[in-house]
Amino acid sequence: MSLPVSEAARPADASLSLQFDDADADLLARAFRTPGDGPRAWALNGEAHRISLIDGFDRLLAWPTLRGVVRYPHQERTCLRVLREMRGRAILADEVGLGKTIEAGLLLKEYTIRGLVRRALILTPASLTGQWREEMESKFELPFAVLRSVGDWERRPLLVASIDTAKRDPHRVWAQRTSWDLVIVDEAHRLKNRLSVNWRFVAGLSKKYMLLLTATPVQNDMDELFNLVSLLKPGALHTYDRFVERYVGSADGRVPAHVPELRDRLRDVMVRNRRGIAFTLPPRRVHSLPVRLSPRERRLYDDVTEFVRDAYWSVSGRMSWAARLTLIVLQREIGSSTFAVAETLNRLTQSPLFGAAERERLEALRDDARAIPSNVKADHLAGFLRSSDEKALVFTQYLRTMHYLKGVLEGDGHRVVIYHGGLPPAAKDAAVRSFRGEGQIFLSTEAGGEGRNLQFARTVVNYDLPWNPLRIEQRIGRVHRLGQTREVHVVNLWAQDTVEAYLMELLDRKIHMFELVVGELDLILGTLDERRSFEDMMMEIWTLRQAEERRAALRRLGDALVRARDQYDAMRERNDEVLRDVSDEVPA
Amino acid sequence: MSDAEALRRFVLDTLADVGATVSEADPLSWIQVPERVRSDLEVPSTFAITFDPDRVGDFEAELVAPGSYFLERIVALAASRGRWDVARFDAADAEWIQQSLSEGGLGSETGVHLETVELGETVLLLFSFRVTLVSDEKRERFHLIAVSPTTGSAWEVDSAKADSGLTALPQARIEPDLQAAYRLGAEKLRETTREAVGAFRAASLGLLEEEVRRIFGYFDRTIEEIQAADPDGSQDLLRAVRGERDRRLAETVERFDPKASASLCAIRAIQVPIARVRLRLPQGRGIDATLDAWSRRVDGLACDVCHGIDGPWIPYAGAVRCVRCPPTPAESARPRGRPRSDTPRRGTRDGRGSARSPRGSTARSRAASGRRRAP
Repeated sequence: MSLPVSEAARPADASLSLQFDDADADLLARAFRTPGDGPRAWALNGEAHRISLIDGFDRLLAWPTLRGVVRYPHQERTCLRVLREMRGRAILADEVGLGKTIEAGLLLKEYTIRGLVRRALILTPASLTGQWREEMESKFELPFAVLRSVGDWERRPLLVASIDTAKRDPHRVWAQRTSWDLVIVDEAHRLKNRLSVNWRFVAGLSKKYMLLLTATPVQNDMDELFNLVSLLKPGALHTYDRFVERYVGSADGRVPAHVPELRDRLRDVMVRNRRGIAFTLPPRRVHSLPVRLSPRERRLYDDVTEFVRDAYWSVSGRMSWAARLTLIVLQREIGSSTFAVAETLNRLTQSPLFGAAERERLEALRDDARAIPSNVKADHLAGFLRSSDEKALVFTQYLRTMHYLKGVLEGDGHRVVIYHGGLPPAAKDAAVRSFRGEGQIFLSTEAGGEGRNLQFARTVVNYDLPWNPLRIEQRIGRVHRLGQTREVHVVNLWAQDTVEAYLMELLDRKIHMFELVVGELDLILGTLDERRSFEDMMMEIWTLRQAEERRAALRRLGDALVRARDQYDAMRERNDEVLRDVSDEVPA
Repeated sequence: MSDAEALRRFVLDTLADVGATVSEADPLSWIQVPERVRSDLEVPSTFAITFDPDRVGDFEAELVAPGSYFLERIVALAASRGRWDVARFDAADAEWIQQSLSEGGLGSETGVHLETVELGETVLLLFSFRVTLVSDEKRERFHLIAVSPTTGSAWEVDSAKADSGLTALPQARIEPDLQAAYRLGAEKLRETTREAVGAFRAASLGLLEEEVRRIFGYFDRTIEEIQAADPDGSQDLLRAVRGERDRRLAETVERFDPKASASLCAIRAIQVPIARVRLRLPQGRGIDATLDAWSRRVDGLACDVCHGIDGPWIPYAGAVRCVRCPPTPAESARPRGRPRSDTPRRGTRDGRGSARSPRGSTARSRAASGRRRAP
């Protein structure tokens, strides 16, 4: 298609004619053949139409429908600006922790309420698809499905997909064949390169509205900003040559030029809220509670570790994916509690993944685990909780650990509320209410309160440490988020000479993870030049047989993390320099 | 009443009107619905609703808020009922005839002489329409259009006054000619909304043109830059850029394509007293008109200037013009003793400051020039 300007802009005829609904004829045929439903029904008919009328974007209709979302004026301002001035095409570039996901969900909900969006696609990194689906469902009542098969492109009008999956055939063809009302791209800085498959895939989608979410539109050089804006609104920053000539001040493309003018142009396509001084989150205080395991626990830990290392490096060298995963689970469980690992050991004694000799070792380990009546770490937890009057969130990864702790803490006189993914929605709501009221301890698994407002508490206890640091961050984010006004305490329990001790070395001492704002860690890990997941890296280090090898590998990973953190800090400064005045500071 | 309170009232009234029993136990309301509406609402016989999103989990309560599924069901249910209705307007005495003329600018003080030819009754039809304008945004309005099958005229009714003085006649049987009346009503709706539809179209096309210009500018200059950098460069690259341009243009045209639609929501028949009258204007010309006690319109007149049929009116030199039209040369030569200007007189509707009756020469001039600009 090639349309000249005048032809494209000119309508088919000079006026727009009101089209009357074909269904009017049905009403004309039926009316007054029988008595009506009465004057009240007539009045309610009019009222039904009046309350459902949509008149532009005069206000946000979605606010009253949101669940468990604290409303912030900067989010309302952002949404109205995107709806009215940017007409649904924007880069949401708020600093980390100011609620870009909420803003995107709010915009999506506004469009659906107004009947302007029926088909929407959310593209995210693979690790975030479930989280997006859950947030859209729980906070916005939008029934998104995660892309599982090619058929979903047709079947599901509201779809969350990993961008890495969606961009590959046959998914790409389906995605680009569909006419989307709204496309949301999370972590949109991954579209920084216009020659990348990611960029070309998103550019090839047919969409009415589009939201690009990133806290760091500029990661390395100014080209990235140009590519992002061109995806949304080509020409908003001139052509590429003109952009470079006008707005790039150095040969390496890292220094901006004519910055005030550039910011003016960016204001048409970008909203960036920054934390003002009054909006800064309160500080976190980190308490590290190292625990020395009892001799029996120590022996069990070492024996399980030895089993894992032996199996991991088995001479056959043909370990299946399932067996590898099982070993990771085993090693993580023994880091949580003997109760968590005991049942898995029991199950594995019957597993075909292992040979007869291995099963025999597993039986012995199971018996040892079952023979341990209590865990030292639980005593430390009880001791810490006795010393504090505060409500506390205690997180563990495993249900069996949770039930053990419930007994210990209730025995100690605490009012304990349990919360896990298996509870029905009503029971979850009741648990949160109970914790807000009389409850003292909110004892929760990983599914603990995603999307729940728990800011009335300010103490988070990591009874065990997930190997995925983002999960630790999510736990802390339950209380250290917008709306928290008091200093937050993060308590980490970990046993010496364990994988968890390694984690603390890397995350706490090397990159000071516990001081980061929620969301920043993902950006730091994103700059690691590493395809393996953090869990895999931890497992590979931990299963090295020689202590010296392990220490060296740990040091290398630590150094890489420090470099990643430095890179992130530099990137944040670069974004501040270019984008500082694109939006206002968020007041308190 | 706040939006939230209006919404709550509407939902509970609708449920009560379909025979549901509502027990309020804040923050929940317990609803027991009769079998016949269960499938419409897609609910069990007893269920809870809440207007507070944070209480949705309690007893699996259905959320009622803009955009919630249950509210959509309730709105659909209410909109599927009450689609026709009969009501009656009674006038206490015959004073309404003279009052209607006064409100229409034709009171006895203007020198218009009234002769009542016949008193009777008629059925007016009131059509409610929902008008929707959509491009990349949506604008909706609710319009009430009254049609008099007797006189063949149609006019817009202020929805705030539409129920005033009406008595329900739920059992009355009438058989109006709906098709003809609907056509008149639809035509009137087109006329009423023409300006808003035109403005919406112009705004959408303005945005479209701006986008199209930007897209052409960007892609065409990009092609020039590519060619300038490498005159013998790859044609594939240029084809790809042109392809991307065309795709973006198609997307933009789709996005800003304006559409205007109307749907009939309900029809009300109103039995109303009417009077057929003969009006003799100050310089002798006689005009037959029909008045109805509910709308108080003077039907049968046409403006000598714009030929519009909606008053209020100003009689002059044996003719009438509507108050929105400027005085004519003939009116300037008006003999002494006749009304000199279109300034509404005390005691008339316009004298109370109707928004529809601009007063003074500036207002008239603006109104007239506005009409000239109309399509």
